[in-house]
Amino acid sequence: MRALAGSAALCLLAGLLGCKATPPGRTETAVVSFAKHHVFVGNKKEKNPLPDDAGTLADGKEAFSHYCVACHGLDGQNTGVPFADHISPPIPSLASPNVQRYTDGQLKWILDNGIWPSGMPGSKGTLSDDELWSIVVYLRHLPPAGSQGAPEMYTH
Amino acid sequence: MPERLPLKMFFAFLLIAPVLSVRPVHAADAPHRIEITARRFAFDPGEITVKRGEPVVLVLKSADVAHGLRFRDLDVDVKVGAGGTAEVSFTPQKTGDFIGHCSVFCGSGHGSMTVKLHVVD
Repeated sequence: MRALAGSAALCLLAGLLGCKATPPGRTETAVVSFAKHHVFVGNKKEKNPLPDDAGTLADGKEAFSHYCVACHGLDGQNTGVPFADHISPPIPSLASPNVQRYTDGQLKWILDNGIWPSGMPGSKGTLSDDELWSIVVYLRHLPPAGSQGAPEMYTH
Repeated sequence: MPERLPLKMFFAFLLIAPVLSVRPVHAADAPHRIEITARRFAFDPGEITVKRGEPVVLVLKSADVAHGLRFRDLDVDVKVGAGGTAEVSFTPQKTGDFIGHCSVFCGSGHGSMTVKLHVVD
């Protein structure tokens, strides 16, 4: 009976330790980043069917402003997002080399499916394919950090 | 007396002629009006058919929140406020099937709101 109680306590402790969220270390970040770019995130070769022009960029900015700003800010660089650094893993700047290294197809895949176990949700069905591809164009032409101000939801 | 009959017929024809000549032309010029109702998260009807070269008026009605309908390939976009009605005119110049999407973010199923437009000869 004592052995059973001890095992249960160990399991509980292990579970609680597993729930602890700490910032990922350098090695963990490198391994996960490699795995995402080369294993987990698919659709590497799909091309964006929309033209990379001012109209699509404006569409992408608008679609981004409806849904993505809550976590990524209007500039895609977390400006004005109060919790960006307080979750683990922290929300990346979408202008960072690590994000920009994804192909257009991979960015679309991430928008469609999200990235588990980060907080990034999939948007398939919530936004149309056209909107998601236009967001990919916006991601390639993000404005300077801070230039768009904070999302309206955080300014009241 | 009998010779007056052709004269009466002539005047009767003068009265009727404008009606006969105008009506068909007017019918041919009248745009094809199609009413579409938008509600979260579907359009009704979800599929419509028009003819190439035929002027079309899309009347978009909202049954709840603000919505929009955009056919990117045809450069057609109309937006409507909550509970309102709006319309857009266009004349499709190419045949094919075109997918229109809701162009005003309206919630979690917004991305699945589509209308299929068939343009036929």
